[in-house]
Amino acid sequence: MGFQTRAGGSALMAGSFRLDCAALSTREINQTLRQLLAEGVRDIVLTNPAGRHNLGVALRGEGRITLEGDAGYYAAAMLEGPSVRILGNCGWGTAENMMRGEVVVEGSAGNATGATIRGGTLVVKGHASSRTGISQKGGLILVGGNSGYMTGFMMQKGVMVICGDVGEALGDSMYEGTIYVGGRIAELGNDAVLRDLQESDLELLDAQLARYGIPGRFDWKKVVSGRRLWNFSKKEMGVWIHAL
Amino acid sequence: MCGIAGLLYKSPTRYASLGQQMLTMLDVLGSRGVDGTGVALYGPPRPEAAIFRIWLGGRDAPADQAERALARVRGLARVLEASVSHDYLRLVVEQAGDLDPLVQAIRGDERGIEVFSVGRSMEIVKQEGPASVLRERYCLSTFAGSHGIGHTRLATESRVDVEHCHPYWARPFPDIAVVHNGQLTNYYKQRRIFEMKGWRFQTQGDSELIALYLAHRMRAGASLEEAMHASIRELDGTFNYIVSTVQGIGFARDAFATKPLVFVETDEYVAIATEERALVAAFGPTVAAFEPPAREVRVWPLPRLVAGR
Repeated sequence: MGFQTRAGGSALMAGSFRLDCAALSTREINQTLRQLLAEGVRDIVLTNPAGRHNLGVALRGEGRITLEGDAGYYAAAMLEGPSVRILGNCGWGTAENMMRGEVVVEGSAGNATGATIRGGTLVVKGHASSRTGISQKGGLILVGGNSGYMTGFMMQKGVMVICGDVGEALGDSMYEGTIYVGGRIAELGNDAVLRDLQESDLELLDAQLARYGIPGRFDWKKVVSGRRLWNFSKKEMGVWIHAL
Repeated sequence: MCGIAGLLYKSPTRYASLGQQMLTMLDVLGSRGVDGTGVALYGPPRPEAAIFRIWLGGRDAPADQAERALARVRGLARVLEASVSHDYLRLVVEQAGDLDPLVQAIRGDERGIEVFSVGRSMEIVKQEGPASVLRERYCLSTFAGSHGIGHTRLATESRVDVEHCHPYWARPFPDIAVVHNGQLTNYYKQRRIFEMKGWRFQTQGDSELIALYLAHRMRAGASLEEAMHASIRELDGTFNYIVSTVQGIGFARDAFATKPLVFVETDEYVAIATEERALVAAFGPTVAAFEPPAREVRVWPLPRLVAGR
């Protein structure tokens, strides 16, 4: 595609690039982003995202992408390497299936934020919604505000930090992984249990909150799997009935 | 899929934009479905009269459908305004008491003709196709008013025709309408129960149940908010719905937050939409919208300062 893709963009300084979403289809935006990253452009700014869906999906390599505004569904989904910053809100499925990299949302995010991520770091400075980090398989999810119903459902691995309050069914059916909550827990999900925090937990929390500029002192709770749903034996029916 | 939208202005200075901003939101939400598009808009309320929006029957309607309906109405009451545009007859009729005889008179024994809305203030206009059809045929971008709701349809539970487009008027209760995104899984069970209590359903659409449910609960003495909280317990399935009355608008979300919804409230307006893109298109990129939690019910009445309410 070469220089054709640069129609609608301009270089501000060596290695940086401004791209106006209003002038392009979503497919053109994403293809241009991939092209620019492959060509070694390390700093890209998208203007006028206007809440569009599927912006910046399946990006690989190294670089910094900034969205000046809101994104819609699946922003930065399937990310593998770059760092994406969204100066606004996001819809459903933000950073879904991220393999590695970093996504920082300055505003709030919708349902299933960080669904099934395998690595990398996802930060939502505002609030997240229901089903945050559903089926998380690694990486770190950090929410500065509240999170909703079924947060951490079927978590398998990784770390989730919710600084604010959390809705019902927290960590329902989680296998492994750790969820830290700074505010109130409305209800623990099936087989999710509270554990005492260790020094190492507090060090991790302080470090990550400082790194992403999230202020405040929190009354941390630590939630892990009770492991009572890992194996089923009909002789233990009583255990299952109790756990469920 | 379906898309729903709601708008309420806190100041009369914004009233002139109602139709245009609602249609802008529905243009964007049309990506979710264009089996139909519809609005319920609330213009200046008529103290002693009722506004009727009447579907004349579409393509197969006889040419004199409107005239004959008008003649039947004139036999019963004084008609203050009458106009036909495309498939709709709009009437403003002096109202004294029960509206049901007027509704029956309009329908007559004719096939295809149907009253889609009755109210002091509410007007429903809906059609198969995208929002551009409403804009081009019914001049709704110049409709001025205080609040309204709108819908873009992807049919999942019932036929693709104008009768099953939203908004659903909660007949026979004036000025109440609902738009719905989702599917009610206990529709038939509830419908049977309510029909035995004497409720009448006009269509086979599940969303109609929501409108009737709220209207009947309010007639029995519940506030709108109480009725909406009860609906979350008694209606099963996936839903966000927005309800409008002459007093304002409100939304409710199902217990699992299965469908997307965002809203924003400022000093000047309240706007609700299935997708934030719609709010950005109507109000600009600085809209601070967020997604409410499961089981949330919010109701916004018009400010009391507005005269005549």
